Amino acid sequence: MADPTSTPSDRSTAYTNSIGRRSFVRAAGASAALGLFAGCSSDGGGGGENPDGGGGIAETVTIGHLAPLNNPLGVGSKRSAEMAVAEINDDGGIADQTVELVTKDTRASPSEARTVAGELVRQEEVDAIVGTFSSEVTQSIMDLVSEFNTPFLVTGSAAPSTVTEFVASDYERYKNTFRVGPVNSHFQAEVISQYASHLSDRHGWNTFAVVADDAEWTTVFRNRLVDLLKEADLDVPMVNGLATDTTSFGSVLDDVDEVGVDAMFRFFAHINGGPMAARWARGEYEFGIEGVHVASMLPAYYELTEGAAAYETTTQSGAAGVTDITSKTVPFTEAYMEAYGDADDPPSKPMYMGFVTYDAIHVFKNAAERAGTVDQENNLDTIVDALLQTDFTGVAGQIQFYGADETYAHDLREERDSDGVITNYPLTQWREDGSLECVYPEGLQTAEHAAPPWMG
Amino acid sequence: MLGDIASVIVDGALISAVYALIAIGFTMVFGVGGVLNLAHGALIMAGAYTYLSLVSDSILASVTLHPIVAFPLTIVVVGLISYGLYVVLVRTIEENVVITFLATIVVAIAFTELVTLVFHAQPYQYSVVPGVLQVQALGTRILYVELAAFVVSWVAMGLLWYYVTKTDSGRSIRATSTSERGAMLTGVDVSGVRARTWLVAGGLAGIAGVFLGGIGAAEPTMWLEPLALAFIIVVVGGIGSIKGSVAAAYIVGYLQTATGQFLGQSVRGIMSLVVLVVVLLVLPQGLYGTEFVHE
Repeated sequence: MADPTSTPSDRSTAYTNSIGRRSFVRAAGASAALGLFAGCSSDGGGGGENPDGGGGIAETVTIGHLAPLNNPLGVGSKRSAEMAVAEINDDGGIADQTVELVTKDTRASPSEARTVAGELVRQEEVDAIVGTFSSEVTQSIMDLVSEFNTPFLVTGSAAPSTVTEFVASDYERYKNTFRVGPVNSHFQAEVISQYASHLSDRHGWNTFAVVADDAEWTTVFRNRLVDLLKEADLDVPMVNGLATDTTSFGSVLDDVDEVGVDAMFRFFAHINGGPMAARWARGEYEFGIEGVHVASMLPAYYELTEGAAAYETTTQSGAAGVTDITSKTVPFTEAYMEAYGDADDPPSKPMYMGFVTYDAIHVFKNAAERAGTVDQENNLDTIVDALLQTDFTGVAGQIQFYGADETYAHDLREERDSDGVITNYPLTQWREDGSLECVYPEGLQTAEHAAPPWMG
Repeated sequence: MLGDIASVIVDGALISAVYALIAIGFTMVFGVGGVLNLAHGALIMAGAYTYLSLVSDSILASVTLHPIVAFPLTIVVVGLISYGLYVVLVRTIEENVVITFLATIVVAIAFTELVTLVFHAQPYQYSVVPGVLQVQALGTRILYVELAAFVVSWVAMGLLWYYVTKTDSGRSIRATSTSERGAMLTGVDVSGVRARTWLVAGGLAGIAGVFLGGIGAAEPTMWLEPLALAFIIVVVGGIGSIKGSVAAAYIVGYLQTATGQFLGQSVRGIMSLVVLVVVLLVLPQGLYGTEFVHE
């Protein structure tokens, strides 16, 4: 989900907080419930001995978190970050130092992101930054953050260019940046093509339409995905871009219907495809709706669409916590729901960015302890080396990074099963009863993919 | 191809009626008081959220009304919000055009914040009239809510036409719009006329809001596009002219639909902007602008 922007309804007050008391108590409670996590990270952590002299870990370790808080995804990320920090502190902090979290609101705006990222590196003097939602926001702060040598762990945006055009092309300058998830959209396209073959095997669906936000992040789906589908002997008679403010879908669905496909892959981050699903379900259009749809990741999406969401699918890192991606996925989701499930404001589940942010903070903790320092000013190389050694079992999957010399330097490695199928970018499907099932990949399935019942 | 043209004709006709409703309210308020009410979009949103709150059990558990009851109630509520906006805020500052303009923007933004606070930035869908009409011959499907929007919009416009041409109360609105001084000289209570106009414009915006939310979704940014369209429509139709707004709403609605169908959905908004520029250059008073003499 590369560039989901939130609504432009920017909050007029910048959201600057150290953890508020209420949310802190919640996060602490959640972390207590998560006691099983304490110290069970697979890469062990390095213990807390500071090397003598240069660096060492200061009194408190400050982690900056950036997300759009006018969007439920950003709120999920903030809460997950608070849970990770509370849990780490309960477990003795980072190398025995207390961790402090400072969240700032990017409002999904690159210029606002630059302002608040500046506050994080200059005033708060953070030891690392995690977060950022859209690729425009991520890339707008990379120069600033790299000037301060601050380790930057990206958790919400997926454009490959973040690593190919920055880290890989000017390594010395951008080596502070890592992407913890989701897999970049080059691999996302591959996931979708493998999933199409799965649908072909299961339902005999061989013809697909591609309809996408007219935005940068979907380029790879309109090009590479189409090539991959054709290589797999699947037909793609229609590729269509929609203005990102599209709200009427009658002619879109009619056009897809007219070319006669088995399923439509839609890639919507800016567009809310809920009204499209409602028209599709009521009109009983004879094709499935599959692909990537950020609005569909909202835990309340089924209720928000009055059930029209049934049978649509979307990819999402963490699979909304409905399946054991790792042994940590479900306990984390339950702890989150315990703490925030009844909160007034959404989301009631972490959402994909929450899973990834939670992992990112643990990845940083372990790397800092391996490096024995968070002093990025003098020891960035040590910290980067430690991050590169990451092999961490997180809630969204096993986290490893591509090496410095690879095309996707410092990017999350895709996980593959023995057949080469990418497994750390699962798909979920809404069901008639409002439940959510993981339908792909097969190793993570909680249920088989179901075709809409009105399809003959 | 024939199917495409037919579906453009149908889709365009349906959505343009709602656009007309929005533009009429916007243009009437400008016509009688010279107020460019940028909070008009907020009234549309108020319509969607009011209706949603009344019919859905997920918002106010204790209040779940049948659409037949909720719909007129929503119109009344939004009409009163609009009336209140005029009486409480606009009436005291309307002599200063710039301050009024800015104040309505502030109201619109504040309302967006309020909605975000109460309902969060999640898109709510709700049904007004469930069901869908299959039009096999045209290869399209029309939602009943779209048909209802079309019918109700035209009924509302018909009633409005009757009101402003056949009743004294309505005719005084037209008189004030044509010449405020003339209206005053013939004994029209101009202040009362303005308040009534806001009430009516609010009611129309409420109707539009219920249907726009029903066809799409209620969300905190749903007012931006309709407001921009109303702006274009009013300029093209001639500021202050009801007839012009209806004609221009259809021009803009059809242009949008046809552009989307034949040139691609990603450029559907562009043609109406082109028309706006052309009208501003060639016909600055708009299609029916001469009806309205501003003093």
